[in-house]
Amino acid sequence: MAQFTLPKNSQIGEGKTWPAPEGAKNVQVFRIYRWNPDDGLNPRIDTYHVDRDDCGPMVLDALIWIKNKVDATLVFRRSCREGICGSCAMNMEGQNSLACTMGIDECKSPDNAVPFLNRKDKDGAIRIYPLPHMPVIKDLVPDLTNFYAQHAAIEPWLQTETPAPEKEWRQTPEDRTKLDGLYECILCACCTTSCPSYWWNGDKFLGPAALLQAYRWLIDSRDENTGERLDALHDPFRLYRCHTIMNCANACPKSLNPAKAIAEIKKMMVERAV
Amino acid sequence: MAPNARPTVAPPLSPHLQVYRWTWTMLMSILNRATGAALYGGTLLVTIWLVALASGPKAYGAVAWFFGSWIGLLILFGYTWVLLNHMLGGVRHFIWDTGRGFEPNERMALSRLSLIASVALTLIIWAIALLLH
Repeated sequence: MAQFTLPKNSQIGEGKTWPAPEGAKNVQVFRIYRWNPDDGLNPRIDTYHVDRDDCGPMVLDALIWIKNKVDATLVFRRSCREGICGSCAMNMEGQNSLACTMGIDECKSPDNAVPFLNRKDKDGAIRIYPLPHMPVIKDLVPDLTNFYAQHAAIEPWLQTETPAPEKEWRQTPEDRTKLDGLYECILCACCTTSCPSYWWNGDKFLGPAALLQAYRWLIDSRDENTGERLDALHDPFRLYRCHTIMNCANACPKSLNPAKAIAEIKKMMVERAV
Repeated sequence: MAPNARPTVAPPLSPHLQVYRWTWTMLMSILNRATGAALYGGTLLVTIWLVALASGPKAYGAVAWFFGSWIGLLILFGYTWVLLNHMLGGVRHFIWDTGRGFEPNERMALSRLSLIASVALTLIIWAIALLLH
C-alpha cells in the first residue's frame, strides 16, 4: 500500500524569513525548500524576497540572484541555462519543470490547473521544492541514482544481429521521423518524478522517461532486438503501472509526450499477441 | 564531498501529493480510481435489493422504504454519479488505449468532458426518474 503522507524525518517546518532588499519596489516572494544533511534538523521552508528590477525573468535567475545576494548556502543544480542540460529540474508552483526555461510570471499563472483545488499563497509567493518523492541530498538537489539505473535498464543503444555495414546503419527519412519527439529527451526527470504511479512504485515501475526511451529504441527501424525489448517490458510493474495519469506529458519541459509513447508500447504488446 | 562520504543521515523524502499541482488529467485519473472502489459499495446496494426482492414482500418493503427515504435517495443519487463517472472514465481510457487523444488540448478536453458529462447525465436520469415517479 502506498504511503500518502511524508515520513517523520521528511515533514516540513517553517524556516527563516530573509529580509526584503532595501529600496526594492518590485518584490517577488519565494518560498524554498531547504534541507541540510549536516544539522540533523527536518526540512524547512525559507522565505526570500527578490528584487524583480534587479533580476532576470526566469526562476533560475531568481535562484541565482538569491544565492549571490542573499543566501550563499542555497543549493541547486544548474548548468546550461537554456533547457538542454536538464540540471535545474525542480517543482515550481506545484509542477515540475526546468527553472531556466520557466518564467517567473509564467509559473504563477498555469493553464492546466484545476480551479479551487490549487491553493495560492496570500502574498503571491512562488513555492519551490525539489523533484517530488525523491531522496534529498541537499536543498533542491534530489538523488537520481534510481532514475539513471532505470534508464540503463532499458538498454538505450542500438542492438543488431546482422553484421555491421561498412559505413553507417542506413535509415529512410520516413523511419527517421519516427524518432522525432523521442530522441530530444534530456533526462531531466521532470516527467518521472511527476508521476503518482512512480511515487508509489518507483522501485518496480520504470517511469515515463525510461519508457519513452524504451519506445525510442523499439520503433527504430535499425534496431533488431524489438522482441527481446518487449519481453523485458512485459511485466505488471515495469510497463503496466502506467495508468495514463499524464502528469508526465503536462510536465515535460521539452513538450515531449511520454504518456503517448507508453500507449504505443502497450499497443505493440497487443499487436504482437494477436 | 560525495553524499555517501558523509556520516550517514537518512535523507528526507521530498514532498509529492502535498505539493503537486492538481491538473485535470490527474484529478480525473484519481476520481476514476476512487469511483471504481466506491462501486464495490454500489454493487452491494444492488445485491441487497435483489436479495430482498427474492426474500418476499416483507424484506422488500423494508429495503424499498430505506432506498425511498431521504438518506437512501441521496445514496442512490451518489451511486448514479459514481457509476456514470467510472463508465465515462472507462470510455476515456479506451480512447487513450488506441493511442488517440494525447495532445495537450485533447487530454484536457477529454478529462473535463467526462466530468461534465457524468454530472449532466446523473441530473438528467434523476430528473426523468422523479418526473415519472
